[in-house]
Amino acid sequence: MICGHCKQRPANVTVTQIQNEQKVERHYCEICAAQFHPFQFEASNEPVSIHQFISNWLNFLPASTTKEIKQATEKKTTNCPTCGLTYRQFLKQGKFGCENCYETFSGQLPQLLERIQAGTKHVGFKEQTISIEKIKYQIETLREQLQRAILAEHFEDAAKFRDEIRLLESKVNLGGEEQS
Amino acid sequence: MNIEHFLTNANPSWMRNEDDSDIVISTRIRLARNIARTRFPNSFTEEEAQGIEDELMNALFSHEKNPYHFSHFPIKDLPQLQRQILVEKHLISPNLANRKKIGSVFLTEDESFSIMVNEEDHIRIQCLACGMHIEDAFEKARKIDRYLSQHITYAYQERFGYLTSCPTNVGTGLRASVMLHLPALTFTKQMNALIQMMTRLGMVVRGIYGEGSENLGSVYQISNQITLGKSELDILQELRDVVEQVIKKEQSARKALLIRAPSTLEDRLSRSLGTLKYAKILSSEEAASCLSNIRLGVSLGLLEPISQSRLNECMLLIQPGFIQQYVGTTLQPAERDMYRAKLLQDKLRQQDESFNNGEKGEDSI
Ligand SMILES: [Zn+2]
Ligand SMILES: [Zn+2]
Repeated sequence: MICGHCKQRPANVTVTQIQNEQKVERHYCEICAAQFHPFQFEASNEPVSIHQFISNWLNFLPASTTKEIKQATEKKTTNCPTCGLTYRQFLKQGKFGCENCYETFSGQLPQLLERIQAGTKHVGFKEQTISIEKIKYQIETLREQLQRAILAEHFEDAAKFRDEIRLLESKVNLGGEEQS
Repeated sequence: MNIEHFLTNANPSWMRNEDDSDIVISTRIRLARNIARTRFPNSFTEEEAQGIEDELMNALFSHEKNPYHFSHFPIKDLPQLQRQILVEKHLISPNLANRKKIGSVFLTEDESFSIMVNEEDHIRIQCLACGMHIEDAFEKARKIDRYLSQHITYAYQERFGYLTSCPTNVGTGLRASVMLHLPALTFTKQMNALIQMMTRLGMVVRGIYGEGSENLGSVYQISNQITLGKSELDILQELRDVVEQVIKKEQSARKALLIRAPSTLEDRLSRSLGTLKYAKILSSEEAASCLSNIRLGVSLGLLEPISQSRLNECMLLIQPGFIQQYVGTTLQPAERDMYRAKLLQDKLRQQDESFNNGEKGEDSI
């Protein structure tokens, strides 16, 4: 069978398109098939695997489509949801708007950090250990509140404090295990 | 503690220089921290800014076990001149002094600790120490850091460490600097090559009177550039190594000067003393350079001894904010130059008197 588009190369890709709720089968060569937009397809005559087809399709996409996709993905990834900063704005001012920017731009950051830092990963003190100290401090405060609630015979409050203490204590135990 | 205390004291403990080192003047440690789930100062709202101020107030004032006694000063309450003096004393940054939005500083009485709030980051903990006490100052700053982290949840992530406004501070958030007096390396024109070498080693060299004041009074500040990918202790060790190398180079340059041109050197240094004692008009550049020469002369034994802390005090006093504070009114630049000359003469006379009375200098106890 000859390719239905260029009518030159042998057709070894079968593309199934839905047109007006009608299933239409078309037969293309690899090269022509790779130039079309998203469609349902079935690979026939085995020489072209589905993976190959997809990668071909991506590579052969017309330039305008590539640009659109790039813009769409850029829009999706480079606008910090918390502070609204775009990567371009960041590059201009050199400052982040919030801690989430690190997450938002985590794709582009390593290249930047490699140039200005000694690495792209923190190897210094961990805040984790400090968090445990902090939880312990919270527990201490809650215990005092619990005592006061019991003395004042506010048993509902006391029960609430007791539950909070239990929850925090389990966190301390978990954190302790992670560290050892 | 009243703001006056911080404005009039030109001899803070961290400039007293107990170990009398004649090259290293002081050490500064700074930790940049931010509060979790709150936007950074360049994009937060007034309410968020106030919330941060309140959180810090709460952490530093309302806990019984708080080991620190800070005084708190909102920047907007301070007139321009007072802000300028705090900048000249290195207690706040020019950035905080010029801030339009909410910002403040917490200071301890001896001025060795300052915590800037809502500068470029929510929190900047600073510890100042005289001489070269890098690890010691770091431990002290770390202690405040740990204390604060018990009451505040920091913006922190496994991967990038402490999250900061600027990617040049992320990771440890640590900037360690040592202030050095390097007149012989400056005279012998070795500083440029040295600065280039230090830059390659990941160090930044700056003048103390702000950016662009590189060799004003031959006082330089060397700090680490890298904050991510290295541990705090490695950063401090590398800074120490570089500083020790620089000290050795300065010492050998001083020896070389003494051997090669002793009389030229002595003439130059003595002239500087003469200028400070008798000049009627002194620009800040000339004053800084004379003070540098006197410091070198004293250190080499070519001039009569003057205590390091007196020289440090003079170094602070020649700055425009201090002069106006001393005189008690705002001055035009030309007037400042006159008062600068007078002020330095007063200080040097005080020094002479304390020596004549058989004391070794009032503050070298
Ligand atoms: Zn074809
Ligand atoms: Zn953001």
